[in-house]
Amino acid sequence: MLLMLELYTSEPNTFFLKPLIALSEKRAAFTTHYFDATGLEQFAGNFPTDLESSLHLEREGPLLAHDGTIICNSFFMLEYISDALPGPSLMPADPYDAYRARAWGQFLGAHLGSAVPVLGAAKYLRPHLAALDSAWVDGRIAAIEPIERRVGWLRLRDGTYTEGYLQAVTARLAAPVSRVEKALQQGAWLAGPAFSVADIDAYPMLCVLPDLAPDTVNADATPCISEYLGRIAARESVRAALRCARTPHPERQFVPGLEASRWG
Amino acid sequence: MSVILYHWEPNANSGKPMLTLAEKGVAYESRYLDLLKFDQHQPAYLAVNPDGTIPAMVHGSRVLTESTPMMEYVDDEFPGPPLKPRDPKARWRMRWWMRFFDAYFAPSLSMIGWSIFVGPAVRSRPPEELRAAIDKIPLESRRIAWRKAMFNEFSAEELAESKRRVLFATLALERHLARFPWIAGDVYSLGDINGFNLGYALPLSQPDHCNDAKTPHIMEWLRRIYERPAARETWAKGRTAMAARIKMLERSPGAPHA
Repeated sequence: MLLMLELYTSEPNTFFLKPLIALSEKRAAFTTHYFDATGLEQFAGNFPTDLESSLHLEREGPLLAHDGTIICNSFFMLEYISDALPGPSLMPADPYDAYRARAWGQFLGAHLGSAVPVLGAAKYLRPHLAALDSAWVDGRIAAIEPIERRVGWLRLRDGTYTEGYLQAVTARLAAPVSRVEKALQQGAWLAGPAFSVADIDAYPMLCVLPDLAPDTVNADATPCISEYLGRIAARESVRAALRCARTPHPERQFVPGLEASRWG
Repeated sequence: MSVILYHWEPNANSGKPMLTLAEKGVAYESRYLDLLKFDQHQPAYLAVNPDGTIPAMVHGSRVLTESTPMMEYVDDEFPGPPLKPRDPKARWRMRWWMRFFDAYFAPSLSMIGWSIFVGPAVRSRPPEELRAAIDKIPLESRRIAWRKAMFNEFSAEELAESKRRVLFATLALERHLARFPWIAGDVYSLGDINGFNLGYALPLSQPDHCNDAKTPHIMEWLRRIYERPAARETWAKGRTAMAARIKMLERSPGAPHA
């Protein structure tokens, strides 16, 4: 059965890095449609779309088109890749380990997915946009639908990201980071005895934190996470994913991510 | 291994594992916690779930506290009719909509519910008692939610935004159910169980937006789920007027079945 598998991706970082690792673990053949997310190319109108992807809760995340269906949401995309493609399963076999993988996906998706892109975008995307023609950027942003996706970009331009705001976002990392550190004291991987979708999901959000939040994630404060990141970085699948980069520093390519919980 | 489920009313997150267990035919020991009496912040329960959120499921030595992954666990672990479609695309669709419900639709709908129901239900108690209750809540995000509900601190802007999102999400769900009979596609699944717990009372709480004229597919979908024996059995466990709202899904005598 040969079905068309097409990945719409930008630089291999954060949400975009996840499916690249999973596809490489599966040794899957796929076509890449590359776009520059930091240049707002995802709003150019030549992307496949349907009800789910038009709502895109992760905003500028990857899309996987497989035989007519557009898969979005990077964690469920990992489960889909594990489920639908031949090769080693990336889901834990034991139902309780599978529960833990899904619970990590939900927890880290909410807590890191809403914080890490803010810190990265404030540090790298904001100056990048400031160097572009401002009328062009503002026009592009004003046209973004739905409004939840537009707001993430507007915040880069309207003075929301003050020093105090970014400190509060950094402070929100403490709880999820310490939960991961604790879990890694108990075992090498997040969900059971083997490397799984939980690790593929967590790694891209954690591996940029020594740069974005050096006081929160470092070899002294979080020795287990540091060791874990090193182990995953050495995997062939991760190296292969990073070889898809088209800029010298994919780890500096950020776009606004999930919104934080509206409950505060 | 026995299953113990700590839950409140068959509603929102508590109702998800309740209905899933009922559909699978898994007997469980029910431990009812009264959310409005803050049972979930008492030491006995915090020993089970240190986060103090409901529901929690204990299966032998395994503890599960996230309600949507908990539903998948029940389906994976126990015999009984499968509640996930076999097709990977349909399974992805099921999960996508469950996340849409959990992360987008439910927080806005529950903010409205907390402002008009949960807040007023506890607000008559002395402020010192309420403040002491807040101090016992482990998670900062839950402390904020309770403080706002107890002292009516939801801003007009955030309530307006929640109403906007509830309408937007209701219309998205109507569009989805015009494409497919069930959330995952052709078969009843965990996605319907999740969505039903979120939406069974929408025709009552949002009568202008969710009704037979404007959202016929949602109405028919809700009634089809309500007719399932597992749903009847689960909602019969409700102790309050909240769960009794489900009766409005009863088809009127003589009404045609779709």
